[in-house]
Amino acid sequence: METKDIISSGLLEQYAAGLTSEKETVQVAQWVAQYPDVAAELAEITTSIEAYAQAQSIIPAPNVKEKIFARINEANNGKIIQAYSPVSTANTKGMVAPMWRVAAAASVILLVGSIALNVVTYNKYNNTDKELIAARNTLNTFEESNKLMEADMNVVQSRYSVPVALKGLEAAPEANAKIFWMQNTGEVFIDPSNLPEAPAGKRYQLWGIVDGKPVDGGMILTSKQGDRYRIQKMKTFGKAEAFAVTLEDEKGNPTPKGPMFVMGKM
Amino acid sequence: MEVIQKYNEDELVLLLQGQDQKAFAYLYDNYAPALNGIIFRLVEDKALSEDILQEVFVKIWNNFSSYDRTKGRLFTWMMNLTRNLTIDTLRSKGYKKQSKISGDENTVNNLQDANSAIDKFDSMGIRKQLANLKPDQRIVIDLAYFNGLTQEEIAKQIGIPLGTVKTRMRTAILELRKILQYS
Repeated sequence: METKDIISSGLLEQYAAGLTSEKETVQVAQWVAQYPDVAAELAEITTSIEAYAQAQSIIPAPNVKEKIFARINEANNGKIIQAYSPVSTANTKGMVAPMWRVAAAASVILLVGSIALNVVTYNKYNNTDKELIAARNTLNTFEESNKLMEADMNVVQSRYSVPVALKGLEAAPEANAKIFWMQNTGEVFIDPSNLPEAPAGKRYQLWGIVDGKPVDGGMILTSKQGDRYRIQKMKTFGKAEAFAVTLEDEKGNPTPKGPMFVMGKM
Repeated sequence: MEVIQKYNEDELVLLLQGQDQKAFAYLYDNYAPALNGIIFRLVEDKALSEDILQEVFVKIWNNFSSYDRTKGRLFTWMMNLTRNLTIDTLRSKGYKKQSKISGDENTVNNLQDANSAIDKFDSMGIRKQLANLKPDQRIVIDLAYFNGLTQEEIAKQIGIPLGTVKTRMRTAILELRKILQYS
């Protein structure tokens, strides 16, 4: 079914009204997940209906809100009051106490009740706070990874970036890497996502081939060393005929000694 | 001093899942009038519609965990919950006499009466703009979203073919979009 046909089928309007059958609901949810056009259309329908309903608002009497809050709080506090009721019956039963004793007993009960309520409320406040903090942290993590991703995209999408594919050699035929060379600044970025994990004590080193000789391009971080794969900025080359990556000692070498993994010409 | 907080829908949903009362107050302030409007349209009785509104918000508070963000907007969920609760209340014994949803041909007329009653409360400019919506377009939206009638039921109700209901509903929503964009 084409998205055009889905949109004109009338099912989205039914779905937004919560009137689709179980089978149709599953179907529409699937379309929404699959086709951005359909999802956008459904969002348009629901926002239109929301605005339509908002435009026909009738402000309820102010005490309705109070009543609602009284009811949701009653549901919470009811438990606490019940828990303390045995104390009050034990104290007052079978004993004629002078007024002040009754008053004292009552105030103690009230105090205990109030402390209990405070503890419960405080715990609840604490929990909500914790949840909020957890939610914020998740959000921050997403934002951070989003920023890193954006940085990657900026490199890839830059109008000056010249991509160079580095193909796997004998040591690792499956491996490959991508170089992005910035025409305007000579900056070099590498995407090492498809290099095998460097063994302990070793690291990949980038080389630019300039006038037939290898020139050090810097050390590359792979996941375990760098925590995550990212497009990385390497040393800047004014010009280079080709790029290659070799596996070297952790600190790197002035000239390549280890096996060459990938290579590509400009 | 009272700080007026504003939440976006994601924050609101998260806070309500954690039973945050401040967020709930915000939800009430922002949505109670619209939901009350939907209820009033069905029951045509101010006191009764406020009673139902109370039930609606207690239910929203208690059942918030059943709201699934991936299945649609918060307002859509609340609107459907409101309509279903109102219809259930009307169908229950106590309100049988007042029922406006019996499915007889009076429904459409009753609905128009409800509209004129609502117009007394009119205070927003958009409402005037809504007058540009043709009555026959308006009726299909109202019957579907506020009365909870399926497209087949609407076809039967106002005596037009199902295909016409579908196209009319679509043009009505497109028209609505236009009005809302330019108001």
